[in-house]
Amino acid sequence: MAASLTAGAIAKMLNEKVKSEKEMMPILQVTELKMVQRARQNQETYKLSLSDGIQSQDGILNANLNLLVKQGKIQVGSVLRLSRFVCNNVQSRTFAIIMELEIIAEQCNIIGNPLPANPGKPRSSGQASTDQTQQQQQQPGVVSVNTQSIGGFEQQQQGRRSELSNGTVRYGVSNSIQHQVGERRAFDTGSEFPGTKPSVRPFVSSNAGYGSSVQERHGLTNSPQPQVGEKRAFGTASGFPETSPPVRPFATGCGSARQEQTRAPPRAYSRPPVQPQPPSMYANMGPVARNEAPLSISSIAALNPYQGRWTIKVRVTSKGELRRFNSTRGEGKVFSFDLVDAAGDEIRVTCFNDVVDKFFDMIVAGNVYLITKGNLKPARKEYNHLPNDYEIHLDNASTIQQCYEDDAAIPRNQFHFREICAIESMESNSITDVIGIVSSISPTGSIMRKNGTEAQKRALQLKDMSGRSVEVTMWGNFCNAEGQRLQSLCDSGVFPVLAVKAGRISEFNGKQVSTIGSSQLVVEPDLPEARELRAWYEREGRNAPCISISREFTGAGRQEVRKVITQIKDENLGTSEKPDWITVSATISFMKVENFCYTACPNMNGDRPCSKKVTNNGDGTWRCEKCDKCFDECDYRYILQLQLQDHTGVTWATAFQEPGEVIMGIPAKELYYMKNEDRDEEKFEDIVRKAAFTKYIFKLKIKEETFSDESRVKATVVKAERLDYSSDTRSLLEAMNKLRTEDANPESSNFRSGAFNSGIGTSGTRETSSVDVPRREFGLPAANQVNQFGNQHNSDSGPLGGVTLCDACGSNNHVFANCPSFLSEPQGQHVNSAYGNTPGRNAGGGMPRQHVGSY
Amino acid sequence: MDTSSPSAFVNGSLMRRYIGQKVRTVVQVIGSDVGSVVGKSTDDLQIFVKGSPPTTPTTYLEVIGIAESENSIRAEVKTNFGNNFDPLNYNELCKLANGEFKHFFI
Repeated sequence: MAASLTAGAIAKMLNEKVKSEKEMMPILQVTELKMVQRARQNQETYKLSLSDGIQSQDGILNANLNLLVKQGKIQVGSVLRLSRFVCNNVQSRTFAIIMELEIIAEQCNIIGNPLPANPGKPRSSGQASTDQTQQQQQQPGVVSVNTQSIGGFEQQQQGRRSELSNGTVRYGVSNSIQHQVGERRAFDTGSEFPGTKPSVRPFVSSNAGYGSSVQERHGLTNSPQPQVGEKRAFGTASGFPETSPPVRPFATGCGSARQEQTRAPPRAYSRPPVQPQPPSMYANMGPVARNEAPLSISSIAALNPYQGRWTIKVRVTSKGELRRFNSTRGEGKVFSFDLVDAAGDEIRVTCFNDVVDKFFDMIVAGNVYLITKGNLKPARKEYNHLPNDYEIHLDNASTIQQCYEDDAAIPRNQFHFREICAIESMESNSITDVIGIVSSISPTGSIMRKNGTEAQKRALQLKDMSGRSVEVTMWGNFCNAEGQRLQSLCDSGVFPVLAVKAGRISEFNGKQVSTIGSSQLVVEPDLPEARELRAWYEREGRNAPCISISREFTGAGRQEVRKVITQIKDENLGTSEKPDWITVSATISFMKVENFCYTACPNMNGDRPCSKKVTNNGDGTWRCEKCDKCFDECDYRYILQLQLQDHTGVTWATAFQEPGEVIMGIPAKELYYMKNEDRDEEKFEDIVRKAAFTKYIFKLKIKEETFSDESRVKATVVKAERLDYSSDTRSLLEAMNKLRTEDANPESSNFRSGAFNSGIGTSGTRETSSVDVPRREFGLPAANQVNQFGNQHNSDSGPLGGVTLCDACGSNNHVFANCPSFLSEPQGQHVNSAYGNTPGRNAGGGMPRQHVGSY
Repeated sequence: MDTSSPSAFVNGSLMRRYIGQKVRTVVQVIGSDVGSVVGKSTDDLQIFVKGSPPTTPTTYLEVIGIAESENSIRAEVKTNFGNNFDPLNYNELCKLANGEFKHFFI
């Protein structure tokens, strides 16, 4: 197994020949594994020592890999291949930050005899019993990871010479040398070196050089350098001469501490394979040698919280708005912007308070900047929708420098598009990017929000190659800026490609996509997907039927459910808690002319007038209770009581202002004056007559209301549209086809049972029960014929002689089996009686023959 | 209404069934000559309408008359159906009237 580790890899990593996975993906073994709690971040981090069989190096696992450790997949002895990592050299300590790895083997004996990693880890000074340490090679086993090794010790195996990792606080987690001491103590007992005084250990570790610890113990506070050499003898990893110098200062710093401890029985530490303590332990104690190396540009992917000094060259893809907030600490300002780098990775940057002032004006979307020294924090997913686990918080130490020469390698925008059909199955409130052709766009409307403010919104339909279309709603500024541009493009016949970044999916009559604060709309983007879409659209998409995954948003959020009037009663619409919204195609058969309007409050409440009934104060002014105001002039609003009739039945409905005007054709006020003031009866009647017996498509809201112990189902007309025969006919044809196919597989269809059976059910008489589908299409007067038809059928029963007729309906061009009469509204009772053995189909009626001539 | 001689709804292809009988159809006027009109039926076949010359040019014309051959009608009544007419629906009507729902009609 030794053969399977990438020998020499560690040396290369330490020598900075290998800085990341780009140079190589070494296979290494975990020789030490510790969990570290970074007090500042309150996050668990696993530090480990990786060995290639010859040497070891410290490494840190990125938080996303923590799970693997917890699951036991990564343990001491595991063999891993580092597939994504970065080697960093900070304060002369080299360590690797591992972002992705492959587990080659979970458990494995330690391969080879790797030298421990960086100096500074008090190699089991305490642990190794003197003899052990002396004779053995430092069985590395334990490579103390640089940073604190609180509690990590336990993890070290017994078999190893666990060097105490002494938790040098590399990253400035200063707290705890003392802490560590204590720990070490505990650890000590646990380790194989019961006798050793842990106290010594830290000191040992505080030595930068390997050998230093030993000497320290003996009261020497000399430079680690020579010690290193000494330590070598013990087989400590010698490869870190560079660590010594920086350590020196620390050594002095710790000298005192060490001194004390050296009182401890040296035996245990006699030849501990003392590791030079990582200088970082003293980061907060002594002078820290700052690494002022020139900034090298790293990629967004390599950013991690363990490294403070980085520089990235990025382009700003979107700049957020400046927002103020109030928190317990007072007022604050915040603003964010998103970045993309040359590799295509994205990350968000947030600035607070004075940092905002510093950078807000500097940042312009689309420009390239060099950003240094921010803090990396875990991303707050509810605000940040970028595919990155971190986000950057800038502070006063950060700098942003604009790059005036544009970097073409850095993309302008990074999208992760989904097809519209995939959106249908995505969860509500999730964020996605989508691209499509704008097939239609409606003008801006404004909506009242719950808190009373108005919001602009604009809807458009987007369709793509999956054959689906979705409604995209734009809010706020998008309505005006992009919305206007899209509108003009659509009006001129060019249907533009629109890319939406970070749109939220909402469920409201199917799925819709809405823009949020951080969304971006790009019209006609220069992307390969856009070009593909355009080509598809030219080819076929223009006329391809697109199924919409969002239903029509008619302001009431109602689906277009076509029903016939008798269904209102049969299906008990309106009796459930919520009102039912349906569409019927019907004729106004009667209209009540008394009280066709009322006096209404004209006070504007947002964009809608109050419209409550106002009371006459007697002196010519009108008072509204709700608004508590008096007006001289009131509005007149329609309140028409109409009787609607279709081929199935009749119902009463009330139409208010908007549909009222459509039906009557003139505003209520005029009509009122005409009747009352001008007393122009003729004209009034004329208008009323014209309005009656016209066919409309009505959108009704059905609700059951209780009036003092009596509950009635009331219908309100929400919208009235003139019937467009052409399209209505088509939908009827479709319905017929649907019936036909359904009949082929005998399943009861809603339409059938609903529309037709209800007809049978309610109308005992034949007058209204026969379906009028074909007839209506042909424009023959509907109602009258039914009666005659019905009557006629009575007289005309029984097949004609001599001709093969269909048993069910008596027609002569087919037989019973494929009788289309099953599709049409049956005359249930009659048919059964006349023809006897109709099969038990619920529609089983026959179409009685009729002669056109009889009309 | 005078129903003594009912006319069947036909489109171009159905006319042959009713040669010599009274039919009615709607055509889209393509051209007109003296004494006849050339029209396109709702199923895109050419129909000749013989009879009194058309008074005003209209897009859609309903013709009721005797079918002389499978593509010509001797018109008795011509009605202007205007410009907004849906030939698709009319075509479906003709098909249904002569097929499934024939019993509704003549």
